[in-house]
Amino acid sequence: MSYLARRAALFALTLLLISVVTFAITHVLPGDVAMMIMGTQSNPTALAGLRESLGLNDPLIVQYGRWIGGMLSGDWGVSLRYKEPIAALIGQKVTASAMIVVLSLLIALATAIPLGVVSAVYRDRWQDTAGSGIALAGISLPDFFWGIVLILLISRGLGWLPSSGYASPTEDFWLAFRHALLPATALGLSLMAHLTRMTRSAMLEVLGQDFIRVCRAKGLGRGAVVFRHALRNAISPVVTVAGLQLGYLFGSIIVIESLFNYTGMGWLTYQALLNRDVPLIQSSVFVIAAVVMLANLVVDVLYTLIDPRVRLE
Amino acid sequence: MRAILSPKGIIGLSLVTVFTLVAIGAPFLVPEELTTKINVLVRLKPPSIEHPFGTDQLGRELVWRVLLGAHTSLVIAVLAVALSLVIGLPLGVVSGYFGGWTDHSLMRLVDTLLSFPVLLLALTISAVLGPNLPNTILAIGIAFTPYLSRIVRGETLRVAALPYVEAARSQGASNWRIIRLHIVPNIMAPVIVQATISIAFAILAEAALSFLGLGTQPPTPSWGLMIQASRDYLDVAAWTALVPGIAVAATVLGLNMLGDVLRDVLDPTIMTER
Repeated sequence: MSYLARRAALFALTLLLISVVTFAITHVLPGDVAMMIMGTQSNPTALAGLRESLGLNDPLIVQYGRWIGGMLSGDWGVSLRYKEPIAALIGQKVTASAMIVVLSLLIALATAIPLGVVSAVYRDRWQDTAGSGIALAGISLPDFFWGIVLILLISRGLGWLPSSGYASPTEDFWLAFRHALLPATALGLSLMAHLTRMTRSAMLEVLGQDFIRVCRAKGLGRGAVVFRHALRNAISPVVTVAGLQLGYLFGSIIVIESLFNYTGMGWLTYQALLNRDVPLIQSSVFVIAAVVMLANLVVDVLYTLIDPRVRLE
Repeated sequence: MRAILSPKGIIGLSLVTVFTLVAIGAPFLVPEELTTKINVLVRLKPPSIEHPFGTDQLGRELVWRVLLGAHTSLVIAVLAVALSLVIGLPLGVVSGYFGGWTDHSLMRLVDTLLSFPVLLLALTISAVLGPNLPNTILAIGIAFTPYLSRIVRGETLRVAALPYVEAARSQGASNWRIIRLHIVPNIMAPVIVQATISIAFAILAEAALSFLGLGTQPPTPSWGLMIQASRDYLDVAAWTALVPGIAVAATVLGLNMLGDVLRDVLDPTIMTER
């Protein structure tokens, strides 16, 4: 319990630091927020008016206090572009993104683990070369390029899935799933590649240990040795990496959601960045970083449940 | 040396060599007007003998643009990684060597920055500063710094605990002398491997930033920008996306293969695994 309490305190502290960094990026870096919103050619009186209305003339610490106070009390401000309360705007989009992120995580795990196991079991044979080759290609191709290839092949070529748009799962689950499938696949491919490499090296390490030899010596079949004994010991670092890579996925959703016009958090953040919608930029960047933090925390805690040795530290 | 001569090493090294030669040579060998010349009569022509890689929506030859795109990629990636080294190396060494309170607060900051997806950080910095070529370098460089300083710190901790560092200290060497002569030279090998891998990531990041319009701006020939421009013509001219896409993929693949091989060569723990 004290472990959990300590983690929770650390989480709160990091959340505070995340808010400071988010605020700093938009306010301390050279670049004037008012000018960012209105453009460099704008009229000085209008600029001064905007500065006044946004409270940009107050000391930074006051501005930060006002922002974080608003965040804590649920008043996240109003988007300059959409003229809507930011909290509501983000609330809708988070579920859309959660759908493709979870789906891509499942796709990645479901393909990477068998591929990694095969690569490790058939080390240095053609199965390994093929598996490792697929993994290397997955890491090297930019995810938006995968996205374009998927659009060309699956959507334009075969006409199986829509190439653009989002549908709400509460209204039409099947349609929502069809819209989510291509972006999730494009998102999951590079994670799949990372996890395949992880699974392979973790499996190789376990397969080289003495207890595996004991299993073989006592006459267990190959399947039992590989799946019941080796994979079970190799899987926890892979799951951990999958969790930690969530951060990477949350970076990629910006590109992928824009490519597929999938209106989730990534798409919203991109619109905020393009339209210099500073209040919306701050909130979405903060939310994404906080979600990544939370995911890492959950992974850490789950890890102590899977592997009791960790808790002793 | 054997690892470099493995098929993976040879393919990786060849791809990286071709990329580097093209990136350095292209600006001298390809006349600029060839990449900017607009000729609507030959717009969106598929690859053929006359148009080796086809033409884009403005009738520009993709072959020249893709060659010069290599230059843009290399310049941005190398400078961005160099920037993250310039900031991350001292940060990591100081943190790892002095430890204590300095280490604690620096690493808290680094951990916080690590919660931000790299691409999100780079995109935000670029949008705030205003997207252009120097700011793209700055954005990617800053976004990479936490990763590099983490690795430098880890290596510093490892090296600082070695007996020869203690020996140097017992002979009365100053901290500065130990850092300069004993720590930095001995952490460089893994740091350089990481930098090689980071260059691959930086090329991907530049492509992504430019693809989203928050990196290099037209008319600079950039692979990400070329892919962005191709989006409206996917149905009629898929090659406008595939040509720059394959260029990015081949380059990053080469760098990753070389990185894998270098890591195997420099990491002694891999040997015991066999």
